[in-house]
Amino acid sequence: MSKETKNKPKLKLAIYWGAACGGCCISVLDVHEKLFDVVAVADLVFWPIALDVKYADVEAMENGFIDVTLYNGAVRNSENEHMAKLLRQKSKILIAYGSCAHLGGIPGLANFHNKEEIFERVYHTSESTVNKERVEPVTSYKVAEGTLSLPEFFNDVRALDQVVDVDYYLPGCPPQTERFVEVFMAIVTNASLPPNGSVVGATEKAQCDECQRKKTDNKRIKQFKRLVEVIDDGETCFLEQGIICMGPATRSGCGYRCIEGNSPCQGCYGPPSTSPDPGAKMMSAIATMIDSNDPDEIIKIVEQIEDPAGTFYRFSLPGSILRRKLIETQT
Amino acid sequence: MEEKRIGVYICWCGSNIAKMIDVGRIAKETQKFSNVVMARDYKYMCSDPGQETLISDIKKYKLNRIVVAACSPRLHEPTFRKALEQAGMNPYLFQMANIREQDSWVHIDREYATLKALSLIKAAVSRVYHHKPLEKRSVEVNPATLIIGGGISGISAALEIANAGKQVYLVEKSDALGGITARLDLSFPFLESVRQMLKPKIQQVQAHKLIDVFLNPTFEDITGYVGNFKSKIRQNGPEKELLFGNIIVATGLQAFNPEVIPEYGYGKLPDVITSLEMEEMLMRGNVITSNGKEPENIAIIHCVGSRNSKYHPYCSRTCCSTALKYANQLRSMLPDSNIYELYADMRTFGKGCEEFYSDSSRRKILFLMFDQEEGLPNISKAPQNDSSEMIINMHEKLSGEEIEIPADMVILMTAMEAQNDAKDIARLTGISLCSNDFYIEKHPKLDPVATTTDGVYIVGTCQSPKDIVESIAQAKAAAARVLASIAVVNMEVEVTTAHVNEDVCCGCQTCIMVCPYTAIHFDEEKKVSVVNEALCKGCGTCGSTCPTGAIESRHFTDIQILSQIEGLLKSEKESI
Repeated sequence: MSKETKNKPKLKLAIYWGAACGGCCISVLDVHEKLFDVVAVADLVFWPIALDVKYADVEAMENGFIDVTLYNGAVRNSENEHMAKLLRQKSKILIAYGSCAHLGGIPGLANFHNKEEIFERVYHTSESTVNKERVEPVTSYKVAEGTLSLPEFFNDVRALDQVVDVDYYLPGCPPQTERFVEVFMAIVTNASLPPNGSVVGATEKAQCDECQRKKTDNKRIKQFKRLVEVIDDGETCFLEQGIICMGPATRSGCGYRCIEGNSPCQGCYGPPSTSPDPGAKMMSAIATMIDSNDPDEIIKIVEQIEDPAGTFYRFSLPGSILRRKLIETQT
Repeated sequence: MEEKRIGVYICWCGSNIAKMIDVGRIAKETQKFSNVVMARDYKYMCSDPGQETLISDIKKYKLNRIVVAACSPRLHEPTFRKALEQAGMNPYLFQMANIREQDSWVHIDREYATLKALSLIKAAVSRVYHHKPLEKRSVEVNPATLIIGGGISGISAALEIANAGKQVYLVEKSDALGGITARLDLSFPFLESVRQMLKPKIQQVQAHKLIDVFLNPTFEDITGYVGNFKSKIRQNGPEKELLFGNIIVATGLQAFNPEVIPEYGYGKLPDVITSLEMEEMLMRGNVITSNGKEPENIAIIHCVGSRNSKYHPYCSRTCCSTALKYANQLRSMLPDSNIYELYADMRTFGKGCEEFYSDSSRRKILFLMFDQEEGLPNISKAPQNDSSEMIINMHEKLSGEEIEIPADMVILMTAMEAQNDAKDIARLTGISLCSNDFYIEKHPKLDPVATTTDGVYIVGTCQSPKDIVESIAQAKAAAARVLASIAVVNMEVEVTTAHVNEDVCCGCQTCIMVCPYTAIHFDEEKKVSVVNEALCKGCGTCGSTCPTGAIESRHFTDIQILSQIEGLLKSEKESI
């Protein structure tokens, strides 16, 4: 740490999880001994996974008290929403941290269903459930001691910027720790920050730019395959082996870890700025690769794609043009 | 960023639009849309006074985006683009909303049609907001022409162009000129010698100073675009670079192989022969069976591989008249023989051909009809003591009888089919194939020798089965088109092309394969795809294919199309 940064007043840093798995918080912990560098220049004022700070403490802060908040997780319920709005108010810089805050992430796939269907499955029909009384969560419940409350479960999962203004996006599931450190240090050292709304900790180019596998223009697919169905030579482009790889529709910056581990890209870093909907873009690209002109054969080939919605929109459904399954409204 | 000042003009089209759509109300409502500075309705926007209003408004209100809600853009988009240019605006800062064909003409509820018009206009306004000026470009045309195929079509086109003083490179994959025509004895219906007609043409080609003939060459990929194509060719010597402005594809046909039809026994029965094998016999001047005898009974079977869903669905168009030609020639050579024509339908169209049929019918030729759907005639070896070599069993359609025909020789009128390498030539020249592998013309009626690739023409039987007359007519038509393009010197090319954003392109190369015009190549050094914009026709395929969003289809960008959709859906919601 340079003297210059040591003498500065410490930054106030907050980390919060919305609808998240915890992986994003772990990715921050993954800085290992660098955590000492972080805490040397920043005070952690709020971090539910590591510190005992109550929501009331955050509410008591002055507006703009926090310098940087990393909000990870999607907005699934009223608690997530409340905290997103509160932290926006209290923070100078709000960063959507990780795929869920960025585009809705894995929890966003729930947008292929609605609240009613999800509750039916979770509280009634799932194989391990016995619920004869058909109990379901309610937002408030009176008991002898008073009224208990639970957050409201929304129909929609939303990305953070669909709820509040977001200054930066740091994509990934989870973001690569090195990228977080770079971005954090840029803020600490007052390096010139990119314009508001930018994706940071990732590049403009898609995965293929870094990917070392051999690529040609011969992307013709007669059969879609899962990874276990091929003997991968470790060298040929996944798409050219009939394995769906979201690489060309996904920003690089992750160090193409999955591909280096001989597994296709799943798209967690989200689309480049030029692409409004990575799922639609990738489906459109895949459609051109199908090597047949016979409508019946094409249908057969397409049917080989396991879970197309989850493949093409794994991390991006709420943030895409598609956003969710249509909810039929009564007319 | 420049302030967007949009003008919207709603045309009545007399009563065509005004009758079903409340144009006055639309103009009033449209005025409220954001960025709309001026909205008017007018009786005929395409009329001179209509256009003058537009031009004077552009100047007076400093309009920089224009929407005209009127008829189909196919009709008047060029008219209004010209008006914009006259007013000093870039013609692409314009969008049409089609409220006639897509609205007033197809609805009967005035309120609904009016609301729909409003939606369509809102969509156009949202779109035009994102329009960008585009610049027109032109290319110089190289006066040389490459002709692929040295048959009668290629030869005819070559002579036509070279005689007009322009260079021709004529490429023939075999080692002689003349193509399939050179293998024919007489032509129909006037029974003239094909050789006497063809030979002087070949000699003229060989002697012509402006025609370079390449026989059996190796040929490299053609690169470039209309006006400026390039290729490398090698023919027993050093490689030569060819530069040319136009291409005529005249690769011709191949004969259908009848071995696949079990009923005919071709390849097993030695005296079942194809029409081309018959031509050889006729050229040699002696028609004999495999035993060296003159055949007493000769059967000619039509539609072999044609008009049959198992083989080729189309009619090969020349076989009926050619079959009559054989019958006539054989009748003269073997006056005592029995000649049978086994036909499915007699199709002797064309000048002099029907007359040829009725003349032939008086020359002791027996015509027997079969129905391909009900089953083909079946040829088998005759029993040993039989008077003929083979027996043909068939259901004669007109009499309804099952009959047996003796035959010592059977001539199969084999179909014309596309060359085996039709796909390779299509890929080489950037043209498309129909489901039968014949090349597709730009318009089946209005533009029969051009293709959707500018500067590439198709003539003769590579386009569809046809006779010598038709092939030559096409060759000369294509030659005229080529000469016209050379006369223009500079040619305007498409402006709504695709463009690769090199900062974003990741080099996945998905776009290269989908381009129907082979306009995209991969830059190995920069590791990005590059669009040759002179070759690009702006079809948009690559733009929608690109998974990265690195390819922008000019005038059809994502933001333009998405805004248009958003405008369309939003206004509907608001107005209900």
